[in-house]
Amino acid sequence: MTITWEQVLAFLCEGQTMAITSLLFLAFFAAVALINYVLPRVLRPYFLLIASYGFFCYDPVNRPLVWVLLAATALTWLCGLIIGKCRYKAVRVLALIASVGFGIGILIFYKYWNLLADAMGGSVLSHRDNLLAPLGLSYFTFAAMSYAIDVYKRRCRVELNPLHYALFVSFFPTLINGPIERYPQMRPQIQKSRRFSYGRCAGGAFRMLWGYTKKMVIADNLALYVGMVYGDAANMSGPNLTAAAVLFAVQLYMDFSGCCDIALGAARILGYDLIENFQSPFEASSFNDFWRRWHISMTGWFRDYIYFSLGGSRCAPWRHYLNIVIVFIFSGLWHGADWRYLAWGLACGLCAAFGAMTAKLRKKINRCNPLYRIGWFKVLWQCLVTDALFCLTLVFFASALYNVDPFAVYSAMLQGWDGLAGSWAQVSELIYSVGIDGRLPVVLLSGCFIVFAAEHNGRSVARWIRQQVWPLRWTLYYGAAAAILFFAAFGQSAFIYQQY
Amino acid sequence: MAKSPTPIPTQPVKVHRAAQGTTRPAQKRRRKKRNPILWFLQGVVRRIYFGIKTAFKFLLLVPVLVFMVAFSYNVDRSGLFQGALAPRRIVDLMLQGYDVTNFEQMDEREVVQLFAQDVPETPEAIGIGSSRVLQFNRENTGVESFFNMGVTGADVRDNMTSYYKMVTYGKAPKVLLWSLDPWVFYGSEDAFDARADADLYNEFLTKVLNVPTDYEEPDTVELWKALADPAYFQGNVDYYVKNRGQSTVTDDDGNAIEFNPVEGDPYNQNTTIKRSDGSVLYDVAFRTQTEDQIRALAAGACMSFNSVHMEGFDEMSPTQMQAFDSFIKYAQTQGTTVILVLSPWHPYLYDYLLTEPENHKGFFEVENWVREYCSQNNIPLYGSYDPTCIEGLQETDFFDGLHCSGTGIVRFFPGVPQALQDLQNGTLPDPLAVHPRTSLEDPAAEGEAAQTTQQEG
Repeated sequence: MTITWEQVLAFLCEGQTMAITSLLFLAFFAAVALINYVLPRVLRPYFLLIASYGFFCYDPVNRPLVWVLLAATALTWLCGLIIGKCRYKAVRVLALIASVGFGIGILIFYKYWNLLADAMGGSVLSHRDNLLAPLGLSYFTFAAMSYAIDVYKRRCRVELNPLHYALFVSFFPTLINGPIERYPQMRPQIQKSRRFSYGRCAGGAFRMLWGYTKKMVIADNLALYVGMVYGDAANMSGPNLTAAAVLFAVQLYMDFSGCCDIALGAARILGYDLIENFQSPFEASSFNDFWRRWHISMTGWFRDYIYFSLGGSRCAPWRHYLNIVIVFIFSGLWHGADWRYLAWGLACGLCAAFGAMTAKLRKKINRCNPLYRIGWFKVLWQCLVTDALFCLTLVFFASALYNVDPFAVYSAMLQGWDGLAGSWAQVSELIYSVGIDGRLPVVLLSGCFIVFAAEHNGRSVARWIRQQVWPLRWTLYYGAAAAILFFAAFGQSAFIYQQY
Repeated sequence: MAKSPTPIPTQPVKVHRAAQGTTRPAQKRRRKKRNPILWFLQGVVRRIYFGIKTAFKFLLLVPVLVFMVAFSYNVDRSGLFQGALAPRRIVDLMLQGYDVTNFEQMDEREVVQLFAQDVPETPEAIGIGSSRVLQFNRENTGVESFFNMGVTGADVRDNMTSYYKMVTYGKAPKVLLWSLDPWVFYGSEDAFDARADADLYNEFLTKVLNVPTDYEEPDTVELWKALADPAYFQGNVDYYVKNRGQSTVTDDDGNAIEFNPVEGDPYNQNTTIKRSDGSVLYDVAFRTQTEDQIRALAAGACMSFNSVHMEGFDEMSPTQMQAFDSFIKYAQTQGTTVILVLSPWHPYLYDYLLTEPENHKGFFEVENWVREYCSQNNIPLYGSYDPTCIEGLQETDFFDGLHCSGTGIVRFFPGVPQALQDLQNGTLPDPLAVHPRTSLEDPAAEGEAAQTTQQEG
């Protein structure tokens, strides 16, 4: 039995789409990393630019849409050049409006068209059936807009090399799930590529492995249960819906942070440091603190370009609270053109505004609370309340994802409770009914425990692993690989945040 | 909180562009001039060093992949590499020296193909043919490592592919004992058995005999994909965990596989069993029938004789004769000595066939042609379709009309070692010395007439 190169290629290319969990992506990435380090450092950004466009265009669906990426890059770069070099403020403002307007325009055209058409009752805009958005639209438009605004606000120097700037916009590890990069952070790394460092490479590789484990072992297996509950939400009991709400939060974290780990690890191997997107969000002590730790690149973007532009907290209190709500509404809308995302943003905004409103009062009450004198209890209680609140708001998010009525889910969550034992029986019965045997829940529980313990207090797992003695290090490498091999749910490779 | 090596977005810092011109640029330190060749070589060496180091570390993870592939290959719950689970169990038991129960439920063809794949050492001799060869065993062939690859209802495709499988695995035996059935020379679709592996036969025809067929190379990518597929690995782990240490092995769907080692005396079983040498041992009742019972079975077979792959068999097919010749030559090029055997039919049945030769013209042509062929090519030939040509053959040497028993075999077959010795010494019995009856007329005259026909042909 002889295997030809054509057959190997056919095997790798069979899926057509380059999912980040596919063998094809790994082969593509290995080839890119290898060539990247063989090339002289000055040529590396140009090669990575070609690779990024290759990655974008690999999926036939994206090929006709490559002009969007090209246009967003060219226009914002030109506008940046005008903003940075022109002395006339009016011209600079016009250039800024053009770049931001183009970014918002393509977002509306490819993402919010139908929402707007429906909102206008179909009289002004007609509904489009095949609304296909280019890969990473929300990520690269936000990155491009941030550059133009930063140049206008003099937070960033003008980039004269359009190819360097193009790499920033289209850098392939960030194209799928972000993080949303900022040019001041990327610029020095692009202009002077790093020398090869074995430590960086090993750390990056482990970060990728860690991400794959989180995504494929934990998130995808949790998705089996969550998908089943939300898939038939109308017939589910309260305990199952509550368990699904909690598990969806864990699934979403493992899915999204796992993909970010892969992106950060991949970028690290290529010689780039990206923005950390998560900082142990489930250890947050308040709802506002939670949002400082969750999807940091997006919340940071909204904070810098919307919240501060609206006046931030340096205004009347009612305006401050309104600003918070507005930012969260935008955040909800960013996730998708669906009223449930909007409702999710609104719910989060109201919670955050309420948190800001009552911050001083709660501080006073907390001082009088004798239980809060026990340090660990205070931390645990605050974490639990924050996480519970997040899980509750997330029902809107999950409802949008699985297309169910969130209010029906909320009302059903209160029904069907049968004591602790009876409710647990309902949940476990459903778990076993899908053929999940006893091993998997144990693996998921211990997996979640290991992930949360390893990432405790925002610890960098990649750096931590490099500091360990080699037997422990290699045990973890093999352990993670074995966990993927034995327990990963294959065939469910799509990331939740990939669609945004 | 933040101990990460990668930055967290900070508040934007204003860039003071105007400051650039006002400050005096610091005096640049003069850089040492570097030798460009040395610089280039340093870069190359550095890249090679780190490349090797990184590749080595990644290689340390290869055992995980090797384990996955090896495990999937060995457990192989879907039978992609090791064959289906049930035949694999049978072959495993046979290779361990056990006789296996439940012969009637076996997929004999799969068992044969799997045996060819799994047998660790090449058997010295193999037997091919239909159920009429299945009574050849280690005792009556005189070969300790004999394996009987005959299958029930075997057609020419089964015969040839059984041997071909052995060759493809590099296990061509020294001796091929072929119990020739008359339908091997019949060119009609009626001579074929639906259970035979047509694709494998096409492969044999195309690759070995260079006969164009619609054979296409199988898609090996699919197989490799399964090996490299972690989902298949997980399925194999599940299957392995479920069946480990269990007395009853289950198939892919969880149904019990009812093939087990024979317990007790194999000659005292109530069901037919497959012996570890591939031969078949019928149940006690079938083996101990009286002469009358056997004759009754033979009489019953008279009317349905042609239905066994010989419906409309009026003449031998030149194509099949050519294929037969090519196969013999192919086996000889593989270093295999071919011994042909014509297993007799029950006297009652043969006598009946003689009463209506017009209905069995093809059948009656076969033996004389084979004798002529063996004579011309110096191929050992034993036995005869005509039971009267075998000295001392009794009606009790049969199980029914078609199947000659072990006691019958020893009356015409001296064993493989003796046949080889005769071949070496040039003392093989003359095939043309035997004249089977082809009609109720004088057999000698018939034989001469047949010879004349062959020569003319």
